[in-house]
Amino acid sequence: MSKEKKRMAFGYALVMPAFLVVMLVVAWPIVTAVQKSFTDPETGGFTFDNYLYFFTDPNQLKNIFFTMFVCFATVAIAIVVAYLLALYLRFVKSPVARLIGNLYLIPRFVPSLVAVYAMITIIRDSGLINRISLLFGADVKLGMMYHASGMITMNLWFNIPFAALMITAGLGAIPDSIIEGARDVGATKWKTFTSMILPLSYKDVVVASTFVFMSNVGSFTTPYLMGGNAPKMLGIALFDQFNKYLRYERAAALSVIMFLICSVSAAVYIYTNLKEKDWEH
Amino acid sequence: MFKMLNPRRFYHAVGKQKFWEFIILAVFILFFYGPMLNMCMLAFANTYEVPAVLPQEWGLKWWKFVFEQDNLVSSIVQSFVVAIITTIASMLLCIPAAYSLARFKYPGRKVFMLSFLLTNAFPKLGIYTSIAILFYKYNLMGSLLGVVIIHMINSMMFMVWLPSSAFRSVHRQQEEAARDVGAGPIRTFFKVTLPMAMPGIAVATLYTFLGSMEEAQGTMLVGLARIKTMPVEMFGVIMDYPVQVGAVFAILLIIPAVVMIFAMRKYIGPEAIAGGFKMK
Repeated sequence: MSKEKKRMAFGYALVMPAFLVVMLVVAWPIVTAVQKSFTDPETGGFTFDNYLYFFTDPNQLKNIFFTMFVCFATVAIAIVVAYLLALYLRFVKSPVARLIGNLYLIPRFVPSLVAVYAMITIIRDSGLINRISLLFGADVKLGMMYHASGMITMNLWFNIPFAALMITAGLGAIPDSIIEGARDVGATKWKTFTSMILPLSYKDVVVASTFVFMSNVGSFTTPYLMGGNAPKMLGIALFDQFNKYLRYERAAALSVIMFLICSVSAAVYIYTNLKEKDWEH
Repeated sequence: MFKMLNPRRFYHAVGKQKFWEFIILAVFILFFYGPMLNMCMLAFANTYEVPAVLPQEWGLKWWKFVFEQDNLVSSIVQSFVVAIITTIASMLLCIPAAYSLARFKYPGRKVFMLSFLLTNAFPKLGIYTSIAILFYKYNLMGSLLGVVIIHMINSMMFMVWLPSSAFRSVHRQQEEAARDVGAGPIRTFFKVTLPMAMPGIAVATLYTFLGSMEEAQGTMLVGLARIKTMPVEMFGVIMDYPVQVGAVFAILLIIPAVVMIFAMRKYIGPEAIAGGFKMK
């Protein structure tokens, strides 16, 4: 065996165990789920009914639109706020900026269950905000529990730090010299931003949006604790099909539908990454 | 001193930039840390009746209550056992793969890399339910191994992508220099490559460990009632006990994260974390 071949074989040997585990415990279950989603629970034959159910039942359709609404609202608000935060962290050098620069990394590591629980103690109708408002003689009931606004607020708590982190890492890679150069030749701040900073960081924005979107389509903890009975987030609808109604075929079909929703954004993500030349190697 | 409480005076006293920075900081802290600070307060409240902002009576009553519950204490132990096994198994499996994807060239590299994205693109519950059917067949339901597998697939993407981008950022010249002065390939790896890729690996390990500590959905499904970790117990606590018990439990759940973040603080930075989300 030539040296080159030996190196290649060694490379394969290192990657194989992890790859096989993914194939066995992720890819294989996905394949069986797809198979199940086309199976008729009674006859065991082929059917589209499991899918049709989610696109014809008015409640399920509402769930799908509701989930999309929550996800898009989360992505839009999170990305805009995160971009502003990232710009601030990149270009302002002050003690406050440094402090925020350290503090915004922490929420990423807080157990999601704890974070949701903590937020509930604030926003529920007998929570901290209500109690403080009572001090001033007003009885503010936010009504955010069991409502889209509560879930979006919670999603922002999770996703703003994450998106800001991705964008900060991208902005950090832009050398000061480029920006100073643009300023030297007389570009205004706005011009520098639109012609330099934005094009150089849009890819990180795409990556961040994709992951924010994907993590919210199938989210469970937040809607489980904060969501209402109808409409529901798809993660809960899936849980119900499996846990409450024991309709495994429908649960499988809904998984595939959610996967397809995610893959649209995953495709965008892969496309942005593949455009890079050094990826050919 | 009190005249500073007037916003307009404060604005003129500290200047425009400082004023706005103060506002940003205040909003940031209130939104991201307010909920958790409130929860810390609740954990030390013996009584907390409706109209009051601050608890009527402070104390450790609910801490005592939590530690008197046998199942709550055993869930803490179980959580640590599962998290430690998951982290070690995941490191042994993924770090070699990460190194291979970073340093070797072979056909199919993209496919390998993308396969790890699969765990994040398909709904977790969809994967869990299908796995549960397989696990029933192979008698893995309610077993430690079954739960560890579930926890591992959650973090495999980070465990491969993050160290991989860290390995790639180590310059080949540095490895070659070590080889030139006579170090073997294994020694070069452990003395040069590994230490330089440590930030990425440390953050990935932190993710895996903390991810395992907080996983609830899959553990409930696959662990049956036999393996009950802290978050699984907490789902019950939220429903059945007063708010203070939940707060105490949440603090217990967050302690490992605080300790680990403090221990690894020099490795945690935006660049190290962001590496886990790019396929470069």
